[in-house]
Amino acid sequence: MTEKSIEITSQEPINEKDLRIGVYVCHCGSNIAGVIPPGEVVEFAGKLPGVAHAAETMYACADSGQRLIKDDIKKYGLNRVVVSACSVRMHEPTFRACVAEAGLNPFLMEMANIREQCTWAHGHDREGALEKAKDLTASAISKVSFLQPLDMIKVPVSKKALVIGGGVAGINAALDLAEQNIPVVLVEKEATIGGVMAQLNKTFPTMDCSI
Amino acid sequence: MVDAARQPLIQVKAFTEVEKVEGFVGNFKVTLREKAKYVRADRCNGCAACAKVCPVEVPNAFEMNLAPRKAAYIPMSQSVPLIYNIDMDACIHCYKCVEACGALEAIDFSMEDKLVEEEIGAIIVATGFSHFDPSVMSEYGFGRFPNVITAMEMERINNSAGPTHGALIRPSDGKTPKNLAFINCVGSRDKRYISSCSNFCCMYSIKNAILAKQMHPDTEITVYYIDIRTPSKGYEEFYDRAREMGIRFVQGRPAMITENPDTHNLTVHGEDAMLGQVIAREYDMVMLNQAAIPQPDQNHMSSVLNVAQSPGGWFMEYHPKLRPIDSPTDGIFFAGACQGPKDIPASVAQGSAAAARASRILHSPQWQIEPTVAVVWPEKCLSAQGKACGMCERACPYGAVDYKQGVAPTIITAKCHGCGGCVGECPTDTITQLHYTDAQILSQIRTLLATEPEKKILALRCHWCSYGGADLAGTSHFEYSANERGIKVMCSARMDSDFIYEAYRLGAGAVLFSGCHQQDCHYITGQLVGAKRAARLQGMFERMGMSPGRFRVEWISAAEGDKYARVINEMQASLDELGPEKLHDEIERMRPEMAKRITKLPNIPHVQQAFNRADNFQTIMLHEVKAK
Repeated sequence: MTEKSIEITSQEPINEKDLRIGVYVCHCGSNIAGVIPPGEVVEFAGKLPGVAHAAETMYACADSGQRLIKDDIKKYGLNRVVVSACSVRMHEPTFRACVAEAGLNPFLMEMANIREQCTWAHGHDREGALEKAKDLTASAISKVSFLQPLDMIKVPVSKKALVIGGGVAGINAALDLAEQNIPVVLVEKEATIGGVMAQLNKTFPTMDCSI
Repeated sequence: MVDAARQPLIQVKAFTEVEKVEGFVGNFKVTLREKAKYVRADRCNGCAACAKVCPVEVPNAFEMNLAPRKAAYIPMSQSVPLIYNIDMDACIHCYKCVEACGALEAIDFSMEDKLVEEEIGAIIVATGFSHFDPSVMSEYGFGRFPNVITAMEMERINNSAGPTHGALIRPSDGKTPKNLAFINCVGSRDKRYISSCSNFCCMYSIKNAILAKQMHPDTEITVYYIDIRTPSKGYEEFYDRAREMGIRFVQGRPAMITENPDTHNLTVHGEDAMLGQVIAREYDMVMLNQAAIPQPDQNHMSSVLNVAQSPGGWFMEYHPKLRPIDSPTDGIFFAGACQGPKDIPASVAQGSAAAARASRILHSPQWQIEPTVAVVWPEKCLSAQGKACGMCERACPYGAVDYKQGVAPTIITAKCHGCGGCVGECPTDTITQLHYTDAQILSQIRTLLATEPEKKILALRCHWCSYGGADLAGTSHFEYSANERGIKVMCSARMDSDFIYEAYRLGAGAVLFSGCHQQDCHYITGQLVGAKRAARLQGMFERMGMSPGRFRVEWISAAEGDKYARVINEMQASLDELGPEKLHDEIERMRPEMAKRITKLPNIPHVQQAFNRADNFQTIMLHEVKAK
């Protein structure tokens, strides 16, 4: 483990006039476009300072959507990307990888969650949802203007697994790991491994023995 | 089981519990408690001489207490590892076992619990499930009527290695029952106890019914059910087979069991829903298929491992569809029923899946972690100016802040998990967090409140829980006020007081401060740092006369989508109740005080630039609103 801290290397945020942000507003089929017109968000985003290009896409996460973003990064010389689509828990890794493939640092991509936290939650308030989608997109654009390229931190790995629980799931996991030449500590709080499975008689649907 | 013991790379540690887990992916430091067995593993050969001479008998939990074991024991003859234990709670210290063990000298009464440390790269949690205790349902008489037994007791009675050597007999008189009933969904799908389905009990009762019928074809067997669920491969065919064998299936959960005290026969009272008739039928023996429930120590394990629980108490996965094996903590995975009731094929499959997920890490010489760590701008540090501080060090759950009085602190990057607690606490904004800098977050706040701020509810949410809760509200289509505007930080500890002052200065209608529940915190004690700050703010706003509901502090897990929607709607209701005029007056009254508290913000690197840029945004956004 490296006992050192990260120096703040590039302290200054990018100059406003050098910003070239690409904004992509996803329809997600009808999940987003069924509640708000994505085109209006695109039109609005296009007016914000630093935005070089704004576009809508049927499915941003699909191969075609990702290709559009990658091509645009080159075509328009984009140096920041905002994807207004779903939750970061769903597709942040997807779009980080997507911009990285086009040569952009993955931490220069920001998502606005206009699906889970907008159209899905405000399906019966279309006007409110549209205002919110615009605000969330603008918020992501303002944040992305100040983002810095970052590198992942590399840490060493201890080549040993701990499996907690010696039932059928734990035993199987331990065996699979050991067969890949990975040492395993299999911990069981009872006096024997086997768990509930060892207490069973025959098992369904094949009626074979449990142990 | 035996394969695991034979595999040289697997170290089986029975009678061992996980005491403490520290560190992070690739670099966990785990403390294990090896409980004293009073028999030395390196000497015991499993000969059973100690058990033979042991004069003490206690019920054997492995046999569902239907058979005795000695105080010197193994739970079953196929135990792995095959090493005896002395049950110190039962032992009478006659030392006959020591004598019987003789020259082997395996028994050692001086043994004590031992704490051992292991360096671990990845952890698979496979702690399993427990069974609902049907004795709380007095209507079924379990515990009072000897011939009402649980499915697990049936497993042991049916088992050739069990207490009856496989003879199907009833407890009251040892006779073979001629008329058997099985009751499904005991405790499960029951709003009083566990509202969810236990997944495998339908199949399990069909299996026990088939086994009983195979053994005694003349025995009449009835299965009482709510629905029969046979969703996997070969399961419906298995159900068909049971019906072809003459096993009767009656729809309707029985209301009550009564007993004839002379014969100990049982009458099941209920309704046959298919026939629409009230029924009362007599049986020799009744089996209760009890619900699967989380382990009794699941809450404890949840805090040891720092992983969250779903409603119902099961461990919660990172994402129910896309990352069903991963815990929210990188490097910790789930296998089997600890995550929710699962049958054997699903548990085995998930065990392999968890191994595959873990081996990605374990086969890598290095693993990558997110660089959203804390960094220091040393110039403004109080300590560097000779003043006493140390707030950053106290906020850090990981000891990642190297603080010495008189100099600015340094952050040990490899130890920093990126909660942002030190950043939120630092009184002079000397520390910031990469990817969540003050400039970045303040520019978001200004943009979100650029137009009609008094209408808006600014919601600060932590990444792991409340942001997930908001996601779940949407996924479940729980609708809430569209005036909510969310900002995500990694932990509530990062929610700087300045963000909230700035929001109110800008005229925000309401602010939500929301993170995980204390026990779910992804950063050990990060939530405590956030909670303390939130309580301080709440007290202050109350003293300043802020209307209730305009500042809410709520702990919302990723499983509480309904709560997220409810809280936002309640906040909206408070704003509606207050009315726009009163709200406006209150905002104007408090604005100077809020402004006073954040005069230093522009001194934080890049914040003035962020403000300037947000002003440009605002001009355009206001123009848009006007045009509309």
